[in-house]
Parts: sequence; C-alpha cells; structure tokens
Amino acid sequence: MSERTLVQVQRSIRMRHVWKKVLMTALVYGIAIAYFFPILYMFLSGFKTEQQAVMPAIFFKPTLETYRKVLSDPTMYQYLRNSLFQVLVGTGVSLLLGVPASFALVFGRLKHPESNGKFYLWFITTILLPPVAVLIPLFTWYQQLNLINTPYGLMMAYVGFHTPIVVWMVHSFFSDLPGEIFEAAEIDGCSKLQQLTRIAIPLARTGIISAGLLVAVFIWNEFFLGFNLTGNPTATLPVYMSRFREQQGMFVAQLSASSTIAVLPAIILGWMTQKALVKGLTMGAVKG
Amino acid sequence: MSYGNNSMKTRKTEYRFLMPAIVVVAIMTQFPFLLTVIFSTLRWNLSRPDLPRTFNGFDNYLNFLKIESLQHIPEFYSILWQTVLITGVTLLLCSVVGFILALLLDHDIPGVNIARTLMLGPFFVMSTASGVIWKTTIFNTTFGWYGVIAKALGATPIDLVSYHPIGVIIVLFTWQWMPFFILVLLAGLQGIPQDLVDSMRIDGVNWLQGVFKIKLPLIMNHMRVAIMLGLVFLIKEFGLILVTTAGGPGTRSYTLPYAVYMQVFSANNVGRASALAVMTVVLTLILVNLLYRSIVKRNARYS
Repeated sequence: MSERTLVQVQRSIRMRHVWKKVLMTALVYGIAIAYFFPILYMFLSGFKTEQQAVMPAIFFKPTLETYRKVLSDPTMYQYLRNSLFQVLVGTGVSLLLGVPASFALVFGRLKHPESNGKFYLWFITTILLPPVAVLIPLFTWYQQLNLINTPYGLMMAYVGFHTPIVVWMVHSFFSDLPGEIFEAAEIDGCSKLQQLTRIAIPLARTGIISAGLLVAVFIWNEFFLGFNLTGNPTATLPVYMSRFREQQGMFVAQLSASSTIAVLPAIILGWMTQKALVKGLTMGAVKG
Repeated sequence: MSYGNNSMKTRKTEYRFLMPAIVVVAIMTQFPFLLTVIFSTLRWNLSRPDLPRTFNGFDNYLNFLKIESLQHIPEFYSILWQTVLITGVTLLLCSVVGFILALLLDHDIPGVNIARTLMLGPFFVMSTASGVIWKTTIFNTTFGWYGVIAKALGATPIDLVSYHPIGVIIVLFTWQWMPFFILVLLAGLQGIPQDLVDSMRIDGVNWLQGVFKIKLPLIMNHMRVAIMLGLVFLIKEFGLILVTTAGGPGTRSYTLPYAVYMQVFSANNVGRASALAVMTVVLTLILVNLLYRSIVKRNARYS
C-alpha cells in the first residue's frame, strides 16, 4: 500500500518534471524564433516576386526571379566588390599591425616595465573614440588628396579603428600562453620574429582567426565612415542598403533579396566567432 | 641573464613590432581628433569660402550651450537628452531582459544551442539593413506585419516611425544589442561552478533568492563588460537613425553623432560640427567613467 503510493508520487514528480521541460523547451524556441523572425522573413521574401511580397505571407511558391534580377544589376557587384576589398584588405592590415603589437605588449621588455600596460591602455581608450570625432579632418584631407573616389582612404580609416580591437582581443589570447616557452626559445637562439611567427601565432591561432573574423564583421557592417568618406564608385554594401530607406513598403522582394546578400555573410561569420567573441572581449575586463 | 648582451637589440625588435600599429592608429584616430578640437575653436563655414577662417575661442560651444532665457533653451539640450535617453533605456532593457533570457537559455533543453544561435543573429546584421527591413516589413502601416495584424484585430495602425521615433529607435537598438548581452551573461552563468548550484538547492534557497542574491552578484563583472561595450557602441550609432527616422520629425530623434553629420553636410559649418563632435567624446568619457565607478562601488559592496 505505502509502496504503491511512493511509486505513484515518484511518477507524478517525474511527470511534472517532464511537463516542465516540455513547456520550457516550447517557451525557449518560441522566443528564439520570434526574435529571429525579421531576419527569417527577409530571407523568405527574397524568394518572392514583387506581387507576392506586397502583403505579408509566410507560405508561398518560391521563385529565384528576384535574385536573378538583383544579381543582374552591375551596381550590386560594385558594392559587393567594394565591401570585399574593405573587409579583406582592412582586416588583413589590422591583423598585420595588431598581432605583432600585442606580442610586444604581452611578452616584450619595453624601456620601462610599466610601458606595456600604458601602451595597452592607450589602444583600449582608442576604442572609446567615436568616429564622429575624426570625420571632419579625414573628410577635408581626403577631399584635398582626392581619396574619396579611391578605396584606400576608407581602408586606412578602418585600419586605424580596428587595429585597437585586434590588439585588445589578441592580447587576451597571448596572455594565456606560458611565458617560459619564449624564455626557452630565446636561450635556444630564437629571434623575436621567429618566436612570434613560429610559436606565438600557431599556438594562439584560433584566437587570432576569431579576432580577424570579428573585425571582418565590424568592417562589413560599418556605415558611418563608409557613408561619409566614399563617393558613388567606392561605396560599400551598408551604404547601398541605406538607399532603400525612402521606399515606403514598396519593392519588398528586391529589398529582401539584396539585404539577404548583404546580411548573410556577416551572420555566418558571426556565428563562427561566437565562442571566441565572449572570451576575447570579456577576458581582460572580467579578470581586471 | 643569458640575453644580457643583446637586450638592446631585442628591445629594438619589440619597438619594431609595436611602433607601426601605434603610428597608424595615432595618424588615423588621435591626430584627427586633435585637429577636430582645433577646428572647434574656428569660425569656418564651408558654404562661405569668402570668409576667412578665424579663431573664435569658445563661440562654437557657447552657441550650443548658452541659455539666454528659460523660454528659449537651445536645441542642443534636447539632442543631448535624446542621446542619453536612447542609450540609457536601451542599455536598461538589454541588461534586464537580456539577463532573464540568459537565465532561460541556461537550461538544459534539447538543442538549446540552436535557440542560442538564432537569438545571436540580429547582433551581426548591419544596422542600415535592420533599419530598412523593420521599417518596410514590420512597421509599415499598410504592408507591414504590424499594420496587417493591427487591422485584423480591428485597431487602426499608426505610423510608429513618425509618432514614436525614439521608441522605434530604442526597440531596434535593443533588438540588435540584446543578443550580445545574452551571449556575455550566458557565459557568466555557465561559469558558475556546478557544486555551488547544487549546494544552493540542498540549502533550500528558493529560485528568486538564488537568482538575485547568488547568480546575479556572481556575474556582475560580465554585466559590467556588456554594459560598457554596449554604451561605447550605442552612443556612436548613426546608420539606424538615418534609415528609420532620419532624425525626425524635426529634430526629435537627433542624437549627437547625427547632429554632427547634419552640421557638416547640411549646414556646412565645420567649426560648430567640430564643437559638437568634441562634446560627443566628452559625453562618452563622462558616461563610461560614471558607469565604471558605480559598478566598482557595487562590486566592493558585494565582495
């Protein structure tokens, strides 16, 4: 008698547990899908014709017509090419400058022992600087040097703003490496450059790659400098997207297909970096 | 020391590693900022090339700051207030709702990583794209989801973008930044040692106490980092405002970066725009500093 009730009680507790879990799962997925909905709907609407896209609908007969139209527009390629240039060259140069600098800041013996910390802090404070604070001088220089119609001016501005982010993130990954390796390498006659390229970079490569991917996402999405420091031939994708702002609910399919092309690479790269993003951005700050 | 002899040489290599980054960052960011500070003391209007550029001290600043009578408070103060309001409310929503969602996503649910990944998506969407997407497919009163659903429920949809510009901007900023808060806070929650959670349960700590008296204080540092980074990035946001409200109606949704942009490219006034830009930097530094202090104080109380 009492044994049976015990079993029943256990079962009802287990059932309550199961129900709780089912409800929790439904809630979490419901919220996640609702949160992601604007992106999902944009993705779907790219496969509609303009007529289909006028009124909101989730179920429809998909077509590639709109993508065909968007991709046959040569200006789209121009924006895409400009964005790719900024991302590849901008990220590459930022890494080229930022990685050796972080190495020197973590393992280098500078003139004064406290210099390492001071220079590191200097890079961090640069991250606080909003781009509006540099826009006007850059704009006047670029007009005089005629850099507005070349991609190099914008690229240099991106390097200036993203090198500190590389330093910040890579610094935290280098700080995880044991300093003894480099002391041993030094005794074995390894030059600083070899220590950097043969030991530090291979050991911290996942961190460095994620820093690069994050900077790539930032540059791909950057609008303020891209908008103000480029002319028509050098404008990037975010500038292209901003040109849809006046169209009052029209051309939804075209807008959706174009923004899917503009948004999807960043989302995918971003998802790939998510683990390192937390570590790189919070490590130094959470510890200190 | 084994490297005593060549320490001068290695030190040189170290500076060779460090200096290129410092030089480029200085030329592209710090040096132009110093020029902006200098420009802010000049009388310089691009549409009047006939007038000489002359030094006029703090006139550009006073033009924004000087209150001549209480009936005519300069527009600068409402722009400043809008900037602080948008940033502050967004950060508040992100930290409160973000914390709740992080707690939810901390459960052991089948395929929870898919849900986490979906919720992270908006963070990586360029702000101009998210602005036009929300504006055309959601907020539009005739063709958007909001308009269609409101009509189906028998309500009259209103043009939210012009009637509640600040609300719309806050919603979009929150949508974009909450995923970042969730990501960071979730990392904090998952760093809490399991035996602590177990002993909480054995000691009969109830859910509310567990969350607010134990978990929240433990991840306060993560919260601090998220708010700090959110503040730094939100205060300079420009693209989303341009594509959704364009600062309007009138100047009701201007923020400081937007006002700088309008001063340069509409009013062509380099001097005044520079003064506004300098004040944007000052505001950023003040807010970061205030935040840092208040949180350090709270940390000290808990530890």
